[in-house]
Amino acid sequence: MTASPARLTVNAVPVDLTTVPVGERLLDTVRWRLGLKGTKEGCRTGDCGACTVLIDGRSVLSCLTLTHEFTGAAVTTVEGLEGDPTGARVRAAFEKEGALQCGYCTPGFVVALTSLLKERGAEASAEELAEDLGGNLCRCTGYAAIVRAVRRVHGEMP
Amino acid sequence: MPAFSFVQPSTTDEALAALRLGEPGETMIVAGGTDVLFGLEGRRIPLKRVVSLRHLPWKTLSWAGESLRVGSTLPLRTLESDPDLRRRIPGLWQAVRAVGSVALRHRATLGGNLGRSSPASDLIPILLALDSEVDIVGMEGERSLPVDQFVRASRTTALGPGELIRSVAIPEARPSAFLWQRVRPANDISQVGVAVAYSPSQKGWRIAVGGVVPRPVLLPQAERLLSGPFPGAAELRAAAQEASMRAPFATDRRATEEYRRQLVATLLQRAVRAVGAHPSSPGVP
Repeated sequence: MTASPARLTVNAVPVDLTTVPVGERLLDTVRWRLGLKGTKEGCRTGDCGACTVLIDGRSVLSCLTLTHEFTGAAVTTVEGLEGDPTGARVRAAFEKEGALQCGYCTPGFVVALTSLLKERGAEASAEELAEDLGGNLCRCTGYAAIVRAVRRVHGEMP
Repeated sequence: MPAFSFVQPSTTDEALAALRLGEPGETMIVAGGTDVLFGLEGRRIPLKRVVSLRHLPWKTLSWAGESLRVGSTLPLRTLESDPDLRRRIPGLWQAVRAVGSVALRHRATLGGNLGRSSPASDLIPILLALDSEVDIVGMEGERSLPVDQFVRASRTTALGPGELIRSVAIPEARPSAFLWQRVRPANDISQVGVAVAYSPSQKGWRIAVGGVVPRPVLLPQAERLLSGPFPGAAELRAAAQEASMRAPFATDRRATEEYRRQLVATLLQRAVRAVGAHPSSPGVP
């Protein structure tokens, strides 16, 4: 029905989908098939944001995504942000502000904030960015440091 | 792991043909997938096939004069980012922003929200208040239904088994507002949602509420108590009381019926005042 190739890329590495069952969630493909454990499984219902990855540069919840829906797309996980300038700035800001306690939610926050900065650039205020991170939960309730990290990265935007 | 076939039509004809495969209940239609793609294992009827609408050319948005048409599979985040939406139909912008999180709205769609028909939908009340029409395509042809006739009950719509929602038409950009109350402000389901819109052409208000059973409803009795674009305090209180008594609220795990009745009275007055104060309001220079 469609001519899209049965493959996608994860962090620029091609993944052949012919061996992936059609019911597999992108979260499972990333964590268990590819061994990229930075992406976390939290609520499994789209409420916590721990499983956030980028698809073609935009944040999505990998627990609510079937891998086969995105044939031909470019998936980026938190590991793939290493070489990304925006992603690197976000990671550095979280580090400098100590914006994590147990760290389980951190990859989701980093990926979600990177997506927001790529989407809106400097036009969004730090307050808007923080509000738009409302889909990411920190069960340690370490939000004050996370908001500081948001302010820091916003202030450092070129 | 559930085993099913995965169909990704790229044309309307292919999509409609895919709906005719197999028995009703065996096929799941997926737009953004954010409300249907969990709990695949626990289904009563085993899933035979998933039809993804992602590759259909329906991710459209077009203004024509005062009217707006939104393709059913346009991601909500794209809709909320439209440069004119916030200014021209503020209530729709607020309602879209109320749905889930940014990552969820990168995938969730207007068509999916209508098709799933949740009583707590944040989008259906504002679509009602804007007198929106659902554009439906099927093997027998095309038809259009007002949202009020399309939405029937929780998870129940007028959509036939061989039909799909193609777009939603909003006939008039109206000064409008959508306010909600929740346990948690971000990424939660509303206990009550109140949508209000003032129609310059009909010189009257539209008021709709969500968080009611069995589906979001318009409240024409309350609408009639508001005489003009800037109702006075007494009129507002009367409309709020009418809405509070009339709306079909019930008690569930999110809120009691009594709390919802109090909420709607407060939110309705705030929403109408917000419309009067907004730059798009008639009479505001």
